[in-house]
Amino acid sequence: MGKYLLRRILQMIPVVLGTTLLVYALVFALPGDPVKAMFGDKPVNEAVAAQIRAEYNLDKPFIIQYLLFLKNALTLNFGETFSGQPVISEIARAFPVTIKLALMAFCFEAIFGVVFGAISGLKKGKWYDSVILIVSLLLISVPTFVTGFVGQYVLGVQLRIFPVTAGSNPGFFDLLMPAMVLGSVSMAYIIRLSRSEISTNIPQDYVRTARAKGMSNTSVTFRHILRNSMIPVVTYLGQDLGALMGGAMVTEQIFNIHGVGYLTYQSILKGEANMVVSIVTLLTLVFVVCNLVVDMLYAALDPRIRYA
Amino acid sequence: MASIEETPLLKVDSVDESAPATSMWADAWRTLRRNPLFIISGILIVFIVFVALFPGVFTRENPNYCTLENSLGAASSGHPFGFDLQGCDVYARVVYGTRTSLSVGILSTLIVVFFGSLVGAIAGFCGGWVDAVLSRIVDIFMAIPMLLGAIVVLQMFRTSESIWKVVLVLALFGWVSVARIARSAVLSTKNLEFNTASTALGSTPMRNLFRHIIPNSLAPIIVIATTSLGSYIVSEATLSFLGIGLPTTTVSWGGDISNAQSLLRTDPMVLFYPSVALAITVLAFIMMGDAVKDALDPKSRTA
Amino acid sequence: MTESNNVKASEVSSASTSTNSRIATADQLHEQQLAQGPLLEVKDLQVDFTSDTGKAIHAVTDSSFSVYPGQWVAIVGESGSGKSTSAMACLGLLPGTGHVVGGSIKLDGEEISGWKPKEFVKIRGSKMGLVPQDPMSNLNPVWRIGTQVKESLVANNMDVSHEKRSKLSKALADTSVQLKDEGDETFIGSKELPQLLEAAEKALVETGCEGAKLEKAMADFRTDWVAGSETRWRVADDLMRYGVKDDDAWYIAKKYVTGSTMEDRIAGLLSEAGLPDAATRARQFPHEFSGGMRQRALIAIGLACRPELLIADEPTSALDVTVQKKILDHLRMLTDSLGTAVLFITHDLGLAAERAQHIVVMYKGRVVESGPSLEVLQHPQHPYTKRLVAAAPSLASQRIVSVKEHGGDASAIMEHKVDTAKLEANDTIIDVEHLTKEFKLPRRKELFKAVDDVSFKLKRGTTLAIVGESGSGKSTVANMCLKLLEPTSGKVLYDGQDIANFKGKSLLDFRRHVQPVFQNPYGSLDPMYSIFRSIEEPLHIHGIGDKKSRAARVRELLDMVELPESVMGRYPNELSGGQRQRIAIARAMALNPDVIVCDEAVSALDVLVQDQVLQLLNDLQAERGLSYLFITHDLAVVRQIADDVVVMQHGKLVEHGTTDQVFNNPQKQYTRDLLDAIPGGKLELGVDLADKK
Repeated sequence: MGKYLLRRILQMIPVVLGTTLLVYALVFALPGDPVKAMFGDKPVNEAVAAQIRAEYNLDKPFIIQYLLFLKNALTLNFGETFSGQPVISEIARAFPVTIKLALMAFCFEAIFGVVFGAISGLKKGKWYDSVILIVSLLLISVPTFVTGFVGQYVLGVQLRIFPVTAGSNPGFFDLLMPAMVLGSVSMAYIIRLSRSEISTNIPQDYVRTARAKGMSNTSVTFRHILRNSMIPVVTYLGQDLGALMGGAMVTEQIFNIHGVGYLTYQSILKGEANMVVSIVTLLTLVFVVCNLVVDMLYAALDPRIRYA
Repeated sequence: MASIEETPLLKVDSVDESAPATSMWADAWRTLRRNPLFIISGILIVFIVFVALFPGVFTRENPNYCTLENSLGAASSGHPFGFDLQGCDVYARVVYGTRTSLSVGILSTLIVVFFGSLVGAIAGFCGGWVDAVLSRIVDIFMAIPMLLGAIVVLQMFRTSESIWKVVLVLALFGWVSVARIARSAVLSTKNLEFNTASTALGSTPMRNLFRHIIPNSLAPIIVIATTSLGSYIVSEATLSFLGIGLPTTTVSWGGDISNAQSLLRTDPMVLFYPSVALAITVLAFIMMGDAVKDALDPKSRTA
Repeated sequence: MTESNNVKASEVSSASTSTNSRIATADQLHEQQLAQGPLLEVKDLQVDFTSDTGKAIHAVTDSSFSVYPGQWVAIVGESGSGKSTSAMACLGLLPGTGHVVGGSIKLDGEEISGWKPKEFVKIRGSKMGLVPQDPMSNLNPVWRIGTQVKESLVANNMDVSHEKRSKLSKALADTSVQLKDEGDETFIGSKELPQLLEAAEKALVETGCEGAKLEKAMADFRTDWVAGSETRWRVADDLMRYGVKDDDAWYIAKKYVTGSTMEDRIAGLLSEAGLPDAATRARQFPHEFSGGMRQRALIAIGLACRPELLIADEPTSALDVTVQKKILDHLRMLTDSLGTAVLFITHDLGLAAERAQHIVVMYKGRVVESGPSLEVLQHPQHPYTKRLVAAAPSLASQRIVSVKEHGGDASAIMEHKVDTAKLEANDTIIDVEHLTKEFKLPRRKELFKAVDDVSFKLKRGTTLAIVGESGSGKSTVANMCLKLLEPTSGKVLYDGQDIANFKGKSLLDFRRHVQPVFQNPYGSLDPMYSIFRSIEEPLHIHGIGDKKSRAARVRELLDMVELPESVMGRYPNELSGGQRQRIAIARAMALNPDVIVCDEAVSALDVLVQDQVLQLLNDLQAERGLSYLFITHDLAVVRQIADDVVVMQHGKLVEHGTTDQVFNNPQKQYTRDLLDAIPGGKLELGVDLADKK
């Protein structure tokens, strides 16, 4: 297990380097002048532009720029925004909100996804299986922002169960509806994944062997069918946690939640390339770490992986 | 015990000549035809494509003809969905938006499938260091969530007026999932015995690749292509919704939904129509993907 | 360890004295069994499956058989004959849409065919156990082996500190042996084991036992006294056997043998099934086990709750023959000592006859014949059974029949020993010299030698068989002869030329002359190609003929392998395994090769189909003077086709000789083991070969 962990971490390094390089290159090396972009529609002040170029090392060769950026990133020094705030402190304000939102969405999709998926997979062909399937198909097809509006309109405006927007310092209840909206698509995927995994596991030989031992249907279901079906589901969930943080942008926008996504969006509107690249780098790191955790979980759940 | 008359001895391993001959594709087609999911989604897709090709058949209105005096006007004859804030005909915009969504979806899918399967096939077929390098590149792209990556790139091109920027960005971050699937499909096909058999017959590796491996790896690629088409349409709409996707001059569902956002409390129907159109389109492609998957799934096929 | 286990166990059965020694004859035992009435009685069973379109598919149309307590009954049939389905119906474990539509299944006189799933749970494990077919897929990969054994014990609320005896052994004990009470049947616990051994040594010393004798006694005790498996009375018995006084022996046994824990019992069960080092093994996962070890674990699971009936569904068909023999011997001994009845399902008539007292033959969902094993084998009544008996690989050389059919004088051939003459006179077509192949294993430094210095010669117009078990390197040799793999050292000469030098045109020319037929009839044909395209492919690659002539050639080839022209438009998934294999042979023959390398070409086929394909190969050789390099794990098949045999083990050549030499006078122990393991090889059969067709 220790060796496996080490190998995975070593394999992670080139991915992290490559990913940050890619993000950096996309922002600073694509055709189009990032400094010009910073000025947006305003006329470019050449003196200021030169100063910015120097500050962000844009006057140096690309690879040096990148290495300096990496060095700064490692010390969490991402520079300053246009208004002079340190980027890192802005991010530090926004991150907890998004983490809260993502974790709530994660719990929502994990619990409901697995429960409905299991019901649907174990009772294939029953009417509620069809209902669950149709609902999950709908959730996948309807984009998050549409689900968000529907929720906002029905639960917020019409029924007044949940607050319509969350505001800058949201509590648990404020985030409940956004979390459900954010987690809805993944929940639908988890339902489908669990269902198909369960139906591939039911006819497996070892399930028959377990029944032949005289085990009751309940214990066969839990110990053999569900236990084995959960391996890919847990993998999916782990990868999704990272994706939820990045995917929160739309939800945060709709519900006016001042998290990372909201910050990114505002920075894009303001043209703060530095902020954007910092956030994306951090989120990518979160994603990569989540993947590593998934690998560990995978190894813990499936003994075959540990020794592979 | 059964008597001899009851169990007449058949010729050992005789061929049943009565059954009709079927190839894998014919088999898949037969399964598909019987699948209600396929019939429903098929009809929907044909309809959607028709609307996209000939929007003029469905409305005489110009989606870009907007006058403020019509702002938020109610539904009336010739304007079944009413008017939006700018006074544009919502029905006409929904009809013309079909073409935008569909072209973005189809173009991105084509590019993604082409490059994704090319890279995946090369990685799977060559193996060794080629595979190692390509797989790491795939990992790198995989580590960037699509939406974030797209935002980073698109914010550089906010002034561009072409739908190609969205297509290319979706392709840039979408090809990796196809590449992964193509790689594993090629890898699993590569090791099947019929390739070894062909080699022993005198076939070259390249001939094997094109005559045996690629045709046998197509099924999973077709499945992901169908499902991806739907998800690219969603992504395009999401990007347009965020205001960094399609140019505002292009009629698109995502853009219209974004514009109608502020009307949620007062005039939700303006928001409703493009959303439904978008959902139905995506649903049709995802259902089609499901149906195709059922039909092409090697597990469901009789080996 | 396995050996010592066998020894131990045989001692157990003799020490238990119940079954073997005190009952005079097998007949008497048989009477005992009959007197108890059938344990399982299946009558006119019908099982249907429902197809996707809602049509009923009759898998079993008429199946009747009975299993008496302690009896081994074998159901024999080809794939799809309904033999497994019949057995699974008894357990209430029909797969998918299967359901019993008629007939009755009685267990101990109670009708169970209409039972609900819940009711079956009561009898599974405790009354009926299962040893399934494929050891690779029948253990859940995520649970430890021990846990999977434990599930069985827990599910049936088994008392893990005492042995449970079956009804038969109790019934037998009633008449001839003193019945062991529960106290006597207490298991050794691993905690008390060291003290028990200490006390035993002390007692032995007190009786004056010393030196080598003491050493031997203690060594025996250490191997025999397995915690969770050996019981108090056996310990006492063992002590008495080494001279400890009865009272002292019982005193020690009672004091130290106080019952095992769950963990002890699990290890005990696994070691009974012949798994060495069971306590450690129980903590491992299935993927750390070899196929044979997994099958032993499955046997332990099947027998864990001491069922009265064990359903063994092809328990060894996925294993090497020598492993199969060991496992079945062991299972036999275990079930005998426990008085367990076994319903043994197999496709191999020889194996069935060798192992079971009673044989039931199934064909197309019906029981066509049933009776005592030898009776069925020597006087088969139904034509299907006759055909099966005739095709059994352990019977006389197939080729002689073949030559006869082609008008040759079989007796003359046999007298002149034409094989030997040919072997001496004909020129060498493939010459393998000191062939070695090393592979690099992932994350290992040392190289793995798959093939180690193998040399042999294949003479034109003859067949050379390479025999070996899995991992012997036989397929690696085949692939090197086909130039699909490059040897690490040594060389392969084709017609005197080193094949390593073939490139481009000369390689294409070599391919034209040396063709393969692979093992897997499902994998070796491209599923996307029609049969016509598959057979035409080699002609296409080598640019032979035009469209018309190729089509004519394909027809000719199909005719040669006795398939109708109508299969040309079909796809591999529509054909049976045997038909696909014949297509593969047709494809190999398309270029008129000199040599065909058959890599396990008939291993995956049913006996009759296998027989048909072998005959086809023999006919082709007789007609066209082909040379075969025939790779197989099955020595029985070798006799039907080969002139020359190479036996391989762990990459090394063990023995090389003509078929007659190897079969009649094997030189090496390994070859003898292989020969010994051929199921039913030593049965006396009185079959008229003329009945064959």
